[in-house]
Amino acid sequence: MEEEAGEEPRLGRSAPPKDFRFYHMDLYDSEDRLQIFPEENTRMRREVVQPEMTSEPRGAGEGRAQRDLQEEVDELVHLYGLEDDHELGDEFVDDNMPIIGVSEYPPYAMKRRDQAREQRDWRFGGEAVEAEDMGYGEWGPVGQCQDLREAYRYTHGRSSEEYECYVIPEEEDEEEAVDVFCVTCKIPVRAIEKDFEEHKEHEVIPLNKALENAKEEIHKNMYKLEKQIIEMENFASHLEEVFITVEENFGRQEQNFESHYNEILETLAQKYEEKIQTLGEKKKEKLEALYEQLVSCGENLDTCKELMETIEEVCHEEKVDFIKDAVAMADRLGKFLKTKTDVEISAQPDFEDQTLDFSDVEQLMGSINTMLAPSAPVINPQAPNSATGSSVRVCWSLYSDDTVESYQLSYRPVQDSSPGKDQAEFTMTVKETYCSVTNLVPNTQYEFWVTAQNRAGLSPSSERAVYLTAPSPPMIRSKEIRSCEEAAVICWESGSLNPVDSYTLELTQAEMPGASGVTESVVGIPTCEALVQLQPRQSYMIFVRALNVGGPSARSEPATVHTTGSYFHLDEDTCHPWLTISEDGFTVLRSERKTPAREPPPGKTRFTRCVAVMGNLIPFRGRHYWEVEVNERLDYTVGVAFEDVPKQEDLGANCLSWCMRHTFASSRHKYEFLHNGTTPDIRITVFPQKIGVLLDYENSRLSFFNVDTSQHLYTFSCQLHRFVHPCFSLEKPGRLKIHNGIPMPNHVTFY
Amino acid sequence: MALKQVSSNKCFGGLQKVFEHDSVELNCKMKFAVYLPPQAETGKCPAVYWLSGLTCTEQNFISKSGYHQAASEHGLVVIAPDTSPRGCSIKGEDESWDFGTGAGFYVDATEEPWKTNYRMYSYVTEELPQLINANFPVDPQRMSIFGHSMGGHGALICALKNPGKYKSVSAFAPICNPVLCPWGKKAFSGYLGTDQSKWKPYDATHLVKSYPGSQLDILIDQGKDDQFLSDGQLLPDNFIAACTEKKIPVVFRLQEGYDHSYYFISTFIADHIRHHAKYLNA
Repeated sequence: MEEEAGEEPRLGRSAPPKDFRFYHMDLYDSEDRLQIFPEENTRMRREVVQPEMTSEPRGAGEGRAQRDLQEEVDELVHLYGLEDDHELGDEFVDDNMPIIGVSEYPPYAMKRRDQAREQRDWRFGGEAVEAEDMGYGEWGPVGQCQDLREAYRYTHGRSSEEYECYVIPEEEDEEEAVDVFCVTCKIPVRAIEKDFEEHKEHEVIPLNKALENAKEEIHKNMYKLEKQIIEMENFASHLEEVFITVEENFGRQEQNFESHYNEILETLAQKYEEKIQTLGEKKKEKLEALYEQLVSCGENLDTCKELMETIEEVCHEEKVDFIKDAVAMADRLGKFLKTKTDVEISAQPDFEDQTLDFSDVEQLMGSINTMLAPSAPVINPQAPNSATGSSVRVCWSLYSDDTVESYQLSYRPVQDSSPGKDQAEFTMTVKETYCSVTNLVPNTQYEFWVTAQNRAGLSPSSERAVYLTAPSPPMIRSKEIRSCEEAAVICWESGSLNPVDSYTLELTQAEMPGASGVTESVVGIPTCEALVQLQPRQSYMIFVRALNVGGPSARSEPATVHTTGSYFHLDEDTCHPWLTISEDGFTVLRSERKTPAREPPPGKTRFTRCVAVMGNLIPFRGRHYWEVEVNERLDYTVGVAFEDVPKQEDLGANCLSWCMRHTFASSRHKYEFLHNGTTPDIRITVFPQKIGVLLDYENSRLSFFNVDTSQHLYTFSCQLHRFVHPCFSLEKPGRLKIHNGIPMPNHVTFY
Repeated sequence: MALKQVSSNKCFGGLQKVFEHDSVELNCKMKFAVYLPPQAETGKCPAVYWLSGLTCTEQNFISKSGYHQAASEHGLVVIAPDTSPRGCSIKGEDESWDFGTGAGFYVDATEEPWKTNYRMYSYVTEELPQLINANFPVDPQRMSIFGHSMGGHGALICALKNPGKYKSVSAFAPICNPVLCPWGKKAFSGYLGTDQSKWKPYDATHLVKSYPGSQLDILIDQGKDDQFLSDGQLLPDNFIAACTEKKIPVVFRLQEGYDHSYYFISTFIADHIRHHAKYLNA
């Protein structure tokens, strides 16, 4: 740009087209975009607002127009009730159209001006549009888009003219090269002129610079305008969407009305036919009855006349004949007079009170202004993880054409066990298409169904969907947690009677309060026990959640795990009856009492011969360390054994156990390191008070240490293909104290 | 104190070297072996002194025990001196295998003609460590000592006579109570004179009785089929009894079927190296 601007001779000619280029006229020429220039927009708004205000006093009258619709219809129905229905139908539809039209377009116009006002007074808006007559107030249902475009083309045309006007002044006459720009007068002048005439005292700058300034200014404005154009384009497309939506909605409403009115008219016609037929039948029946009576009446009359004549004849007869006939006559007459002469009118001539029943029509009429009763809603299957232990979130959907005022959501627990016994049902009314149902029982199936309702009535019930509440939180069995430096076994109670899908274990390092512990999760645990790998010498908070289709339960109460040393429990099931385990679970006592007469019967779990108990070590192939406090005069055995070590044999007597045994006899200490019944010959000069035991699966070793002196006593090399457990035995009365959770001393790492 | 390198061989990533130097204590040229583990290239390492048994030179241990792998793993400098002064032309020094050359017994002789040269105790506890500390990348604060037979005796007395100087001590079939065994009686009367009270400061079992109780972890391996055990040369039971009484921690392992040879040593050498490493690398 700068380069071109520097070429002065061409400047005059080339400037206008160059500048034109910046306006992106192609944008404005596009008919597909409904652009509204800011100036146009504000002007329009002003124009619209004015009639709106003037129409304010007429508000009451306008508001009545809506009510008129209802009354008009009622009137028409009454008016045409006994007249020709078809005519009515046609007329009705025709009349209806403009009425709808009034309410259809105003929102559209309002949106363009001021969306916020739309809701408040759309009726006035409608009036306002008609009043302003801007060219789109009269748009019919067809071709309104074209009209809209024309309207925009109109505004657009005007704007581009304005821009042209703005540009033209720069297009100076080019006879003489102007080279400076008078800032004061805002016109370009020739350098020579500058020194005299009216520009003498004025500030001038080189024309190039002036040109650049002007261009820069223009560019800035261009940028703003472009932004505005984009905004307006977006706005216009939004308007189009609204336009279409409104059109669709009203179209649907039209159809709705049409079908309703047709239904009513059909009903009326049918009623008319029925009535006419009934009337005709009644008429015929009455006339027939009357005619019959008339006929029989005539017959009676004839008989009477004949009798009169006969009597008269008899009166003129001879005495003898008279007497004879008179007797016969008197008989006949007596008989005749005995027969009743019916002079009651069999059919009432007056018209019976015929009440016309229009209740069903009225109902139909009423439903025109409400809507159809909704169809059955569709209840959704349960969304994963949407439930809690006491609540589920039930969702359903309606058919888009339905208008629904509220839903009736019903549910009852699903119980397989007692189908005969009806479970209590619960029903609630909700406005939304979802509902969080609370106060439910955890991990329980509930059957849900929903009906929709509006003024017109109640929909059929939806299908029934089964939702499941999340389980209740499990309970960690803290006392049974086993751990070593690299792992822990956590077990818990389900907390739910029904089975759950799985459990999730969450762990947070508790050591660093500032670090706002990152929570790790172990998911998909099928049983109530899990082994988690951990970092050595840390403290962890452990939580467990139970999961089912409905979602996860709340967290269990936390349990704390320290991965310092190993932590195990003594297994009471293995405990020889002569041993007692202290309350804290870590002191093994063989009391001084006299030994019972006989040993317990051999078993697979419980030690029966050697007076021993087994610990329950975490099954993890790492390193484990624990310590045992002993008395140096005590006879004891400590070590490890497989779970299935023969319980009726001494520890170390077989190839399933590895042990250190101490015996004290005649003031001599004997230390044996027993496996398969053999021991190396090892003498120890300082008798340990506390024995450290290191079990190292990785290196297949079991080592014993004197804790107080750090002295290494012995190391077994043992093939541990399966997991072993600590074991402790007391060959004489006394006690052993087991120390868990002891950090592994450094020196043991050498073995 | 100039060192002369005699040999150098790469072994388990480190270097097995032999040096010769003029010993002040012993008044003769002495050879010693030193193993520099790979870790010695980058930093100071602990030093372990190995004292060999009767008739041995610095060569036996380095060529027969197979200690290199363990020393390399634990990063220990292992120093193996000779067992006596050599070439001192003392009358009778080569007459028997259990006295004189190759049988210095790690004592400082007080009797003529031995007292000028036979100062092995001072040599292994003073001169040699100073030489090593000055010439090799070792940490003077971390040293241990072990040995075999006569060297086991030497290791025990060095440790027991210098509480705290050695972090740990161990021995293979040590002569535990030399004042009561034929080897000890012969050597001590030769080097120290007939006054048996002067022998006791070089007797491990006696030293234990006066040991002040500084922490010392003693590991002893003993072959059960060791001929010298049954001959009453080693007498470990006396030492164990003394240690038990004084509560000095000993683990004594009587190894079934093993004899007095380097085969026995090589079987358990790794345990001993680890025993020292545990204290030196703690």
